Amino acid sequence: MENTSTPHFTEDEHATAAVSRVADLLLDIGTLLLASGAHCGRISRNIERVAERWGYSLELLITFTGLMVSIKNIANPSERIARFRHSPLHGVHFGILTEISLLTWKVVEENLSISEVERRFAKIKKSSHHPRWAVLLGVGAACACLCILAEGNWANACMAFVASVSGMFVRQEVLKLRFNPMIAFILASFTTGLIAGMDMIYQIGASPEKTLATSVLYLIPGVPLINCTIDLIEGYIPTAISRGVYAGFILLCVAVGMSLSILLLGIHNF
Amino acid sequence: MDFFIPMLRDAAFAFVVAVGFAILFNSPRRVLHVAGILGGLGHSIRFILIQNHVGLIPATLTGAVCIGLLGIFVSHRVHTPPVVFTMPACITMIPGLYAYRAMLGCIKTTNLDLLNHDPTILMITAHYFVLTASLLFTLAIGICSGALLFRKRSSKSLFRRIF
Repeated sequence: MENTSTPHFTEDEHATAAVSRVADLLLDIGTLLLASGAHCGRISRNIERVAERWGYSLELLITFTGLMVSIKNIANPSERIARFRHSPLHGVHFGILTEISLLTWKVVEENLSISEVERRFAKIKKSSHHPRWAVLLGVGAACACLCILAEGNWANACMAFVASVSGMFVRQEVLKLRFNPMIAFILASFTTGLIAGMDMIYQIGASPEKTLATSVLYLIPGVPLINCTIDLIEGYIPTAISRGVYAGFILLCVAVGMSLSILLLGIHNF
Repeated sequence: MDFFIPMLRDAAFAFVVAVGFAILFNSPRRVLHVAGILGGLGHSIRFILIQNHVGLIPATLTGAVCIGLLGIFVSHRVHTPPVVFTMPACITMIPGLYAYRAMLGCIKTTNLDLLNHDPTILMITAHYFVLTASLLFTLAIGICSGALLFRKRSSKSLFRRIF
């Protein structure tokens, strides 16, 4: 311990400010990645890349609801800090994933300063979603084509289009009113089920069953399900369990919404 | 070559599905077409295999692994993490119909009269449930196949090693 003689007070204070600034930035990046649908391996890779480049050693704890980092300056081990932050509401945004990945590689290759990274990160944080009409149209076209791929005919596909677009519209509206996201899932699948169920009752098209089966697929939590498996494979067991439970609960909500619509229309019709 | 036209048709519809889901997942606009092409390719590989009497699960696995491996090569070209387009591409093969049948079976299972009348409902429900779960797991394996095969931590460092 002889080399760490009692540091000057102001210097120490200065060092703490610097290290806590780095920790805050790393937490910002990590929680945004977590909320945008990155698996744990990606989060830790991205953050480690930056920390390593700036000369900090990093310990990272990833949970489904938040992130904890503990960083230490390699050159001066008395500069250390541990911080925790809750993640914002989960929602898939692969654009943010891409931009942050590019940003962290730039830190490594161009040795960006911390204020430059903070500035670029603030811009990424504000990056927009695709326009609402594009999302609605994409969802409708995707479900209609899934219906055709499942060997439904054009009439079925049109019904699937209408059902999924209206369901997605309901989901967006409910989320805008800041209801619980699970309520949004139930109401969306209920709406979709009601409209697609009309196909079953009036026997429109060749195989009405396919309309009902494919028009709710836009609600399938594909990203948490697949991230759950990736985390399992890479050994992040606790987050894998949380993601699995989360995805399972979304699936359950979708099933509840559909069941309600099916029971309302009469189970003997199905 | 009598399966060539249906295969193209299959790929075209899968293209639209993949692009639709890429928009839903907010993938950047410059890689939407990549997701579509990979989705069309993977789905038509599965289509050909099923036409040649390969089982549904092996066929899906092959399609998903092809998407996963190609995704790594493409990601280097377009400077994007592979998952951004392999995920929507693999969603084209999502087992929606089986999931729906499993769910419908579960609703029917709540009705004892219906079960007494037709006990095969239980069997069918279990079958579709397991099939859905297996297919979902298969898709996930396909997406991480690259990471599993090359034992490298990121696709960028993988390319540094090869080239």
